[in-house]
Amino acid sequence: MIGDSVSGSQSDRARIFSLVVLAVLGLLMVRLVQLQIVNSSEYTGESRDNSMREIRVLPARGTILDRQGTVLVDNQPAFSVRVTPRYFEEESLPLLAELLEVPEAVLAERVQEASKYSSYVPSIVMNGLPFDRLSRLTERLDDLPGVDYEATQKRRYPSPVRASHVLGYVREIAGDDLANGKADGYRPGDLIGQRGIERIYESELRGNLGSDFRLVNVHGQDVSPFRNGVEDVNPVKGRDLVLTIDADLQALAESLFVGKRGAAVALDPNTGEILSLVSKPDFDLDLFTRQISGQEWTGLNASVEKPLFNRATQSVQMPGSTWKPLIAMIALEEGVITPNETVHCPGYHPMGRGRFFRCMHVHGNIAVVEAVQESCNTFFFEMMRRLDVNAFARHARSMGFGEVIDTDLTEQATGLIPDSSYYNRAHGRWTVGYQMNLGVGQGELSVTPLQLARYTAAVATEGKVVTPHLIAASVNPETGTLQAPDVPPPTPLAIRPEFVGLAKEAMRRVMVAGTGRGVQIPGIPSGGKTGTAQNERGRDDSVFIMFAPFDNPQIAVAVSVENAGFGGSAAAPIASLMAEQYLTGQVTRPDIVRWMLQTKSDPMIDKTNGE
Amino acid sequence: MRRWYQTLDYVTIFLWLTLVVCGLVAIYSTTHGPAAEFLPTSVRQNFYRQSMWLGICSVGIVIALLLPVRFFQNTAYLFYAGSILLLIVALVFGKEINGAKSWLSFGPMSLQVSELAKVGTILGVSQLVASRRGTQSDLRFALTMIVMVLVPAALIVLQNDAGTALVFIGLIPVLLFWSGVPYLVLMLLMAPAVAGYLSVVSMPWAIGFSVLFGLLLWWQTRDRKMGLLGLAAAGGTVAAVSLALLKVLQPHQVARIVSFTDPSAQEFRHGVGFHLVQSLAAIGSGGLTGKGFMQGTQTQGRYVPEQSTDFVFSVIGEEFGFIGAGLVLVLFAFLLVRLIRLGGQMKHPFGMMVAAGAVGVYLIHIIINVGMATAVLPVIGIPLPFISYGGSALLAHTAILAVAISLHMRRDDLSIYGFYT
Repeated sequence: MIGDSVSGSQSDRARIFSLVVLAVLGLLMVRLVQLQIVNSSEYTGESRDNSMREIRVLPARGTILDRQGTVLVDNQPAFSVRVTPRYFEEESLPLLAELLEVPEAVLAERVQEASKYSSYVPSIVMNGLPFDRLSRLTERLDDLPGVDYEATQKRRYPSPVRASHVLGYVREIAGDDLANGKADGYRPGDLIGQRGIERIYESELRGNLGSDFRLVNVHGQDVSPFRNGVEDVNPVKGRDLVLTIDADLQALAESLFVGKRGAAVALDPNTGEILSLVSKPDFDLDLFTRQISGQEWTGLNASVEKPLFNRATQSVQMPGSTWKPLIAMIALEEGVITPNETVHCPGYHPMGRGRFFRCMHVHGNIAVVEAVQESCNTFFFEMMRRLDVNAFARHARSMGFGEVIDTDLTEQATGLIPDSSYYNRAHGRWTVGYQMNLGVGQGELSVTPLQLARYTAAVATEGKVVTPHLIAASVNPETGTLQAPDVPPPTPLAIRPEFVGLAKEAMRRVMVAGTGRGVQIPGIPSGGKTGTAQNERGRDDSVFIMFAPFDNPQIAVAVSVENAGFGGSAAAPIASLMAEQYLTGQVTRPDIVRWMLQTKSDPMIDKTNGE
Repeated sequence: MRRWYQTLDYVTIFLWLTLVVCGLVAIYSTTHGPAAEFLPTSVRQNFYRQSMWLGICSVGIVIALLLPVRFFQNTAYLFYAGSILLLIVALVFGKEINGAKSWLSFGPMSLQVSELAKVGTILGVSQLVASRRGTQSDLRFALTMIVMVLVPAALIVLQNDAGTALVFIGLIPVLLFWSGVPYLVLMLLMAPAVAGYLSVVSMPWAIGFSVLFGLLLWWQTRDRKMGLLGLAAAGGTVAAVSLALLKVLQPHQVARIVSFTDPSAQEFRHGVGFHLVQSLAAIGSGGLTGKGFMQGTQTQGRYVPEQSTDFVFSVIGEEFGFIGAGLVLVLFAFLLVRLIRLGGQMKHPFGMMVAAGAVGVYLIHIIINVGMATAVLPVIGIPLPFISYGGSALLAHTAILAVAISLHMRRDDLSIYGFYT
């Protein structure tokens, strides 16, 4: 062949050329190994950060049930409007405000708050949008970049029970809650429990947030599930809570308080379960499921009747004569009197020279049980004269007075149980006369209805001090199993059972032949004690404590009605009807019910307006 | 006499078709994935348009196979002249797309004449080599060839399409090498390119390379002057590039050039480095096996700009992983080596030059395109042959291939006159 020598060199070049081709492609292949095998995880992170958006899936909030399983609080569908500040245009603010029917300034503030949280994350600017407004909004969404809505849930209160102070409500998270809650996934516009059960059991009720991972494109548009949703996390529904509240009892008690201010607490004396907790006036929880208006909120806050104030746990008042069984027990335990020893009552206690320490009647020589039954003031002035005030304080505190109960009730008042150091602090020089008023539940002494109920339960059970609590069980949303709360066991009183038994017997006599005889439960023996507590603002408060049945107490009640006068007049009928309702499932005394519906507290004297 | 179907190289056609189909798969993923609804209608039709181009190209291959070798040799200069004419027409009357005024409309079709000019240039240079007479001096021959390549390259630069022009310039050493220019000259020609690249990436490496290159030439030629010449060629480039980067070029131009060395740096990430950051994220996150067809988050989220054209490799790398991207490189390797072999089998300068020109064009495209997608080179917008979306490029690259296999099929018809060395 002619070209042999030439093509020989040419085939060398072909070989070199091929080698160059392979070398170059080989180098690119090495680069691929570096990118896709060696450093792949780094780039995987980069690409995830790019394109993955996490969308929270809010779990359904746990429902709240009464002890029989009646639903007190559950959820209903609602809509929330969200704004993603990065894409939101300020010019569309007036249109959005018009569609949502909220003031532009309010909306602007909420958008501002949302952008402070994150400009790329959608934040709720309005919760609980009514359906008609939602449909008007959806028609105009194209004109509102960065605005969308999500289906959420809001609270519903399907039972006739209000229990406003027990249940509490949810509101949008704000302030410190938002600052502290960020780590738990709270965002502006999220709902959080604000009072009562909703607040204390927020973490149980809320459940666990779920996550939907979405693929968004370079323009921020949502494209599809990220990796077909394999990484999505399903939300876990909040725990349902079974309360110790008895819905029927609660509803009855609330209805009996019509026209009255005051509180009632009913306990299971053996366990401390709160069967009913009423504080009146109360407020409509349903208000908070809507965007509550400023006016409504101010009204609730500023009302002289203080509807937001939980009188059952926060109001402090003198216990009046309901205090006498307690003093009787302490006096017996401290040995300042024996069961059969009598004290002479001339209608007053001689210390006050007939002026300061008066009794309602001339009781003559009277022993301890009769003194409780007849509510003899002189006897109990004398007991406190004989008692060391510090011994009194120690016993009172052991029964739960003067302290906040460590339980699932927020918003408790401490109350006041004076001791010698208190008097030293308050008065400097003081005499035994200062402490004698304590014997009849007056003076520098204050207790809450909850504390009274607890003490009543201790007498009823002859010495068991229980921890009042609201939760009977919480329901595991995955397994459906019930979990009981961790309630401390009852502590025994430092008073001998026979002395507690005497106080209990005295309370039985009150119901049979004393001030409580008008409100005996038909067919069920019980124990009780009326009280009339001085109220610096008008008529006396009516107070009553009660337990029943006498031999195997199932319920202990404390009722206080503000400015309603003598203890037997308003508080006792309510307590008696409550006990009857709880024990028999019905009330059989329509005349008493009718009477109660007509009894009213005196109007509140607004001190700011003068009297 | 062998029958035509016995001499046709089916393997090359098979490799070509496989690569085009790989491209179609990637393009389909960018237009029919879950994000399709966000795409403009024109983009959504990319897949169908590219399929149509595949049909046109297939017809083109058949026509090329029907034509005799004489036709290509006789019309080679005509094609070259036509290419130059089209480039001038485009420069004057053309349509500007993506900043490059290199498009001509023919009814509903738009053609990028700078792509088509590759075909005419390779045919023209091949005919030049084939018609070389022994009396011609090496230098004059080489200069003629260089000028023949530089004329269309200059016109394309004027059209503001520096990337495509770079391919022409890159073709020069390939064609020189294949037409028999001494290795030494070739090395001297190549050294500045390597030195220039290294001075962007790493100055110590660039200086080291220059010194080593001088020493290598000295050792090869035993001539101190040659060593100094090599050092001057490489070192001079290093100095020139450094001067350009430090003094001559505007900061944004410098950023464009150097950003690939660290695209995710704060100053580049959201600007000139954005393409590279996203492309690296796409390819790197593909891992060994990829995220799956139409499952690439970068691709479906359209994070990589120009993902169906210049950055189509990132789609393959992300959705099919190292296996898919590596397969594409392997297919290219087979195709290119195969073409070199076909060129050798033709034993005629015209056929050999066409085959070498094809390999050169493809190789330069692959280096620049894949190098860019994997951030070893700056962003230079040229397509990946057969794979990127774009009718003109597919047509031009297929046409060169078609001529090469047509000549190879009819290689017995080529004049037996070999090289005039």
